[in-house]
This record gives sequence, structure tokens and C-alpha cells, in this order.
Amino acid sequence: MRTLVTVEKGVLMCLALLLLTAPVGAESPAEQRARAFARLPNWTGQWEIVGVTPDAQGGYVQSLDEVVAEMRKWGPPPYKPDVQVVFDKAAAKVRERSVAAANGTDAPSPGLRPACSFGVPMLMLFSPLMFEILTTPEETAMIFSGREIRHIYTDGRPHTAKDDLWPTSWGDSIGHWEGKTLVVDTIEVSNPPGLGGGDGPVIVAGGGDNDEVSLVATLSSEAHFIERIRMLDKDHLEDRMTIIDQKDFTAPWHIIRQYQRVTRIHRMVHEDCEGEERNPVVDGRFTVAPPPVPASGK
Amino acid sequence: MTERTPIARPRARARIVPSGVLLALAMLLDTAVAHHSFAIFDARQSITLHGVVKEFRWKNPHVFIQLMADEDAAVAAGEWSIEMTSPEHLVRAGWKPGTLKSGDKVTLVIHPVRDGSKGGQFVSRIAADGTRIDLPSPRHAAESK
Repeated sequence: MRTLVTVEKGVLMCLALLLLTAPVGAESPAEQRARAFARLPNWTGQWEIVGVTPDAQGGYVQSLDEVVAEMRKWGPPPYKPDVQVVFDKAAAKVRERSVAAANGTDAPSPGLRPACSFGVPMLMLFSPLMFEILTTPEETAMIFSGREIRHIYTDGRPHTAKDDLWPTSWGDSIGHWEGKTLVVDTIEVSNPPGLGGGDGPVIVAGGGDNDEVSLVATLSSEAHFIERIRMLDKDHLEDRMTIIDQKDFTAPWHIIRQYQRVTRIHRMVHEDCEGEERNPVVDGRFTVAPPPVPASGK
Repeated sequence: MTERTPIARPRARARIVPSGVLLALAMLLDTAVAHHSFAIFDARQSITLHGVVKEFRWKNPHVFIQLMADEDAAVAAGEWSIEMTSPEHLVRAGWKPGTLKSGDKVTLVIHPVRDGSKGGQFVSRIAADGTRIDLPSPRHAAESK
């Protein structure tokens, strides 16, 4: 009997020893993922760009001058001299068209289609759309109210191989976390349909009644974007973006944008460009059409 | 989207068009920052409509107020289509689908359509005491001073 008790004590001691000496890192994959989740900042909620606030009329609370002045704080794009000449002409042309459009003396371009996509970098720099940011250990998704989505993979993968990659409005994004800062690396960005311009992305600002726009920058299709996104306080995020464009720039271009929480709505509401379209182009001019008659005719 | 060709271009040709800043920019930006340009409305003119809301069409991509306007010296009586921005932008500006209801008597300030038809861009509502309601853009704010 005494022998049996001694054996039981020995087994219990061995078990206790095993538990005490078990390696700390021996977590299950689920536990590891939960720990990775816990390290991420919580950026849930709805966000909007500071200084680009849509109003009820279809324009912006800020004037074009105010919007452009804020963007000018970034300094001009560091263009190569020959590119600068082309950009200046393009910007002047845009100004001319903008004034003509505001005065109603300019017709829409032939084959015009609605501009329903902003793409990168416009989504982060000049867009009236609100957005959400969902962080997981493997991916951060940025969901914009225009139903554009940025997928930023943070699982350690490299960029997609060149032979499996093609230009899109949002490019190919990978990222990693440096503490609470998300570092995003984006390549292969094309200009969204409807924005006009060449193959590379453009940065455009609007303001006031939205008749007038200003060309802030054009980029080549080789532009490479590095963003450092972090929370400044519970109601503000910041994106420090560096644009490297070896084709057009003499140096990297550094940009800072801030975002604030949307205050009047606490859920995502999406835009739909394909909804009830009542602004057809007739004789080269946008018009306002009467409401559609219900199918029943009633 | 422009198709890309794997065929290398001669270097001299590449310098002719030095970047993505292509001359196609000349046809740029009718609608660069909105679903469509609001240049269809004459922002230099503002008219005031008194009437009854026939329907508040809370639809994408743009909300419309269908207003049965009273006859006025400057306004033709009948149904007017008053265009606003999108539901997404409106809720952020404090509007809701029920902000206006059929049968509501309202006074609206609009920028009329340039072609003279019975349509316009919403600018603001006028309350019974004469004050303008809604968050105006800078140009509209200047008008209301």
C-alpha cells in the first residue's frame, strides 16, 4: 500500500515538473493568432479625409483654394525638368477646362463615363468617400464607400510575381507592422477609368461647388508607394506616404494626410454609380431627366 | 485600360513622351472628383422655389427632391427635379431618408439647370424664420451673406 502511494506521488511530481518546464512558446495556432490579433491596433469605425468634406449640394465644404493650399504644403512633385514642362502644360489645360466647365462653356468629353473609381493614391489623398479599416494578422482591408477595396497583405509574402501581375487602380499591396504603425508597399498602379490622363495615376483636387478642379500631380506607371499609417489619437489617423517614381521624379515625394472619424453615421453606407442615373448626356451636355416611370405605369 | 505591349520601344521615341504625363490629359477631368460634373447647373444664378414635396427620392447615385412648385414670377409651376448629392454624402451632412416627406411644404434655393428645364441643384432650405438650413459650400455661404 505504501509503495502504491509512493508511486502515485512520483507520477504527480513528474506531471507537475512537465507542466512547469513546458516551453512557453508551445501555443496552438489559434492561440498564436489570438496573440497576433491582440497586438494590432483597433482602427474600426468610419473615417474620412480631413479637409475634404462633402456637402449636401454635391460639392465640398472646403473651397478649391483651401483644398489645394493644404496639398501645396507637401511641396511640388520633384519632377525631372522635361516632365515638369509637360506637367505644367497639362495643369494649365486642366485649369482652363475647369473654368470653362464652371462657366458652362465646356462640353463633356466624347465617350465620357462617370468617374466612379478613385484608386490609389487618390483614395488616400483626395476622395470624399468614407472608409473602414479592418486589421487582421494576415491582411488589412480598407473598404471605401465607393465599394473600392485595398487589400494589404501582412503575412510576410513578397509582391506578386511580375508574370502574374498587371496594373490595376489599387495596385499590389503588401505590408508589415512596426509596432502600431502599418507600413504599406504598393506597386503596379494604373489610372482609374474616368479620371482621364495617361497610364499612370493622377492626383486631382476639387472643392467648393465641385465645378473647379486642379491637377496636383501626375505619376508614371512605375510609381511606387510606401505608406506609414498610424493612429494619432482615438479620433485621428495619419498616412505618411512616400512616392518613388524613378521615371518622372528626381527624388522621392513625401506626402502627409490625416483622417478623422465620421461623426454623423456609425455604419458603412455605399455609393452606387449604377443606380438611378438621371444625368444623361444629350447633345453634348449633361441634363437632368425626370424620375423614371414605374414599370406598372402607375 | 491601355493595353501594354512587350515590344521594347526605341529609346529616342521614349524621350518624345517622357512620362505618364501624357497629352491625353488635354481631355481630362470632366468628372474627376464626382460622379458627374455639376457644371450643368448655373451656379451664378439662384432661384427660390416654394412648393410641396411630391417625393424625396433617396437613391444612388444622387438623391432628388421632386417638388411641385407654386407659380411665381420667376418660376414655372409644376414638377421640378432638384438634384442633391449621394445618400452617403447626405447622411454625413446630417440628412436622413425621412428628412423630407411627401406633402411637406418647403422653400428651396437652387441653382437652375442651364437648359431652362424644370431642374436644378439643391443649395439650401429656408426655414419659416427666413434662415437658411444645411451646410453650405463656400460659394453658397458667400451668397447667403
